[in-house]
Amino acid sequence: MDMNEIKEIFFQECEEQLAELESGLLKLNDGDRDPETVNAVFRAVHSIKGGAGAFGLDDLVAFAHVFETTLDCVRSNKLEPNQDVLKVMLKSADVLADLTNAARDGGYVDESRSRALVKELEALANGEVPVASAEAPKAQPKPAVAAPTDDSGFQPIPFNFDGFDEDETPADAGQVYEISFKPRRDLYSKGNEAALLLRDLSRIGEMSINCDLESLPDLDKLDPEESYVSWMISLRTTRSEDEIRAVFEFAEWDCDLEVRAAEASPSGEELPMVPVPFDLSILNDDASAEAPAPSPTRDAAETPAAAAETATEASKMAAAAARVERKESAAATAAAAAASNTAAAAAGQTIRVDLDRVDRLINLVGELVINQAMLSQSVIENDTTGTSSINMGLEELQQLTREIQDSVMAIRAQPVKPVFQRMSRIVREVADMVGKSIRLVTEGENTEVDKTVIDKLAEPLTHMIRNAVDHGIETPEKREAAGKDPEGTIKLTAKHRSGRIVIELVDDGAGINRERVRQKAIDNDLIAADANLTDEEIDNLIFAPGFSTADKISDISGRGVGMDVVKRSIQALGGRISISSRPGQGSTFTMSLPLTLAVLDGMVVTVAGQTLVVPLTAIVETLQPEAAAVHSFGANQRLISIRNSFCPLVDVGRILNFRSTQANPVEGVALLVESEGGGQRALMVDAIQGQRQVVIKSLEANYTHVPGIAAATILGDGRVALILDVDAVVAASRGQSLKPEMSLAATG
Amino acid sequence: MAAKKAASGTLKLSPTMDLNEASALHAKLLSMRGGNIVIDASQVERLGVQCAQVLVAGARAWQADKKSYVVKQASDAFAKTMQLIGIDAEHLVAKEI
Repeated sequence: MDMNEIKEIFFQECEEQLAELESGLLKLNDGDRDPETVNAVFRAVHSIKGGAGAFGLDDLVAFAHVFETTLDCVRSNKLEPNQDVLKVMLKSADVLADLTNAARDGGYVDESRSRALVKELEALANGEVPVASAEAPKAQPKPAVAAPTDDSGFQPIPFNFDGFDEDETPADAGQVYEISFKPRRDLYSKGNEAALLLRDLSRIGEMSINCDLESLPDLDKLDPEESYVSWMISLRTTRSEDEIRAVFEFAEWDCDLEVRAAEASPSGEELPMVPVPFDLSILNDDASAEAPAPSPTRDAAETPAAAAETATEASKMAAAAARVERKESAAATAAAAAASNTAAAAAGQTIRVDLDRVDRLINLVGELVINQAMLSQSVIENDTTGTSSINMGLEELQQLTREIQDSVMAIRAQPVKPVFQRMSRIVREVADMVGKSIRLVTEGENTEVDKTVIDKLAEPLTHMIRNAVDHGIETPEKREAAGKDPEGTIKLTAKHRSGRIVIELVDDGAGINRERVRQKAIDNDLIAADANLTDEEIDNLIFAPGFSTADKISDISGRGVGMDVVKRSIQALGGRISISSRPGQGSTFTMSLPLTLAVLDGMVVTVAGQTLVVPLTAIVETLQPEAAAVHSFGANQRLISIRNSFCPLVDVGRILNFRSTQANPVEGVALLVESEGGGQRALMVDAIQGQRQVVIKSLEANYTHVPGIAAATILGDGRVALILDVDAVVAASRGQSLKPEMSLAATG
Repeated sequence: MAAKKAASGTLKLSPTMDLNEASALHAKLLSMRGGNIVIDASQVERLGVQCAQVLVAGARAWQADKKSYVVKQASDAFAKTMQLIGIDAEHLVAKEI
């Protein structure tokens, strides 16, 4: 395992910690005051800081430290986590995520924003009201005197006693602490180094040390990786006990540490103490050595920096350790452990598996399914009685294969929670930018769906959320005028429905302004001025390419590449999107997506001698057209009458150029499909072979994109069957013909 | 990376004496038991506590064997780390008797 892999593990864990952090903060925002929630939030930031320190990610460490200090005030009940405080904290969580991303792959960090937040956090830690203050004091581990409490307006002035010591020599200044430090084996195996901790300690005061080597065994009985040495340290310093402990903070769980203020005289009568007064700059890594002599005026912020430096050096040692080839993996384990203080906690229940391995397994299972189908088919062809033991064994094999396939698919299934959590940040940021107050409510975030679907879901969802915030929800003034709660609500829900995942985005805004949409569509030449459209059709105009109702093009949305892009992304995932809106009450976007992109339940049909697969989800019903129900319309259009309504009849064979003339509808079967616009089409095929689950094989990856065809599959007899892209075929039937040069007559 | 035996009886410490090096150092010392030893610490840039404790245990073992155990040309980093962690140079010297 090299350092990059270890770092990657750290970043993966950061993602988990950031998710924990955000969900914890949102819980607090909802009024949860469980100390465990506060602890979880604190731990998340602390772990990120610890890991970041080990990798020398100084920006991340510095920000996390300030954040953690403020969270510690909440944890110790010195700071009430009210809405204003949580607003700052949620923003800080966003910046922490940005800094993590920047450290990972050089993403963008708004430095002015992070600086402003540092000040806000520090102000909170100092007991000030959460309003950004340019002159906010530096963070202190303990909050200073609280805000004015007196009715008279009298304001207590914090008094600094440090000044009294200014004239004294540093040697006489400060308090003497006795520190007992006994590292455990884990301290070293996690990449920390006691010598570096002692060096950092020596920098904050005047230090004498006694090294206890009593427990050191004979050389031949010694385990070189065990920890035998412990220390008694006498430290005279102006720093607080907390600051002394902060030196050990990355190692605090892996050592026995006692820090206590010595009585009148410094310890040393019992133990022979060796002074450590000399210049230790040689032990630094680079020229940026700090002055070794402690000074009473030193900034408190140096302590975390020193601690971070320790961790940095420790990680370098760990890196050096990892480079050496060893039979045992102790060094690699040690370095991995250094990546995060909490790695061990999460390791029990889950394992991390490279996605490529899972994908390979899925592919192999796909092949197994195909192979099993082929085997079944050849046995059936050769054994007409259907009672042989081979046949029965094959049925069991089929069941097993199906179970294996389901289980493998479940490995790739992930809850939609991470995507939903990202949305809450977008709501916060966009709402801030447009001056609206909006609450995002999420439901069903543990609903699982294939990882590919999740990955591709984030972008369209982001766009829709931005739209909902920017256009959907009204300004607080308008809402109040309409008798609504000034705070708008956006509800994001996920649920499983008949083998698909359905994601709903509901806002309680003004709803679609149909008059304006209609006018815009007319202005953009999307519809004729006298077009007679239903409400549903007008609503669906927002999905038309190039449609944007924003009067001004803003940074947030309204670049004119809005909802049509969303619709295309959803369709590319094999999904559907629809909208329903009620004026004054809000809009609901419903997305229905397949649970996986690897298999598909399809209806196998014959068209002009070719075998095609039609996704079952697209089919509403199948019917055998009667001659009386088929009506000619125009030059070569035909309609079919179904329960007193007319539906265009589309000859799939003709559209795909399988044949040059239209087939006789009465001889075939009509598949009634629902198109994206909400209207229905009857697709004409010659015959239905049956329904089956097919393994999707990408045409783009293996051949090239073919209009009207979504993908391909391999049938039981080993032949390739094409999977129909129903929407493309329906669109083509409307006059947007498929490219003739891509005729499929030769590809089947 | 491993500690290298420059000549018989001489053990040259590598620049990075960290956790990983402690095992190699330990093994090397065990293999050199029985004779006088000179430890060349001139190249040491970084010394971890675990290597230091192996060196101290080595000094004690050589003391018990009544053989000489000398650390020579200690680099600045070596000397200062030893002083920092409170290990007296006396801990590292065994005289041939």
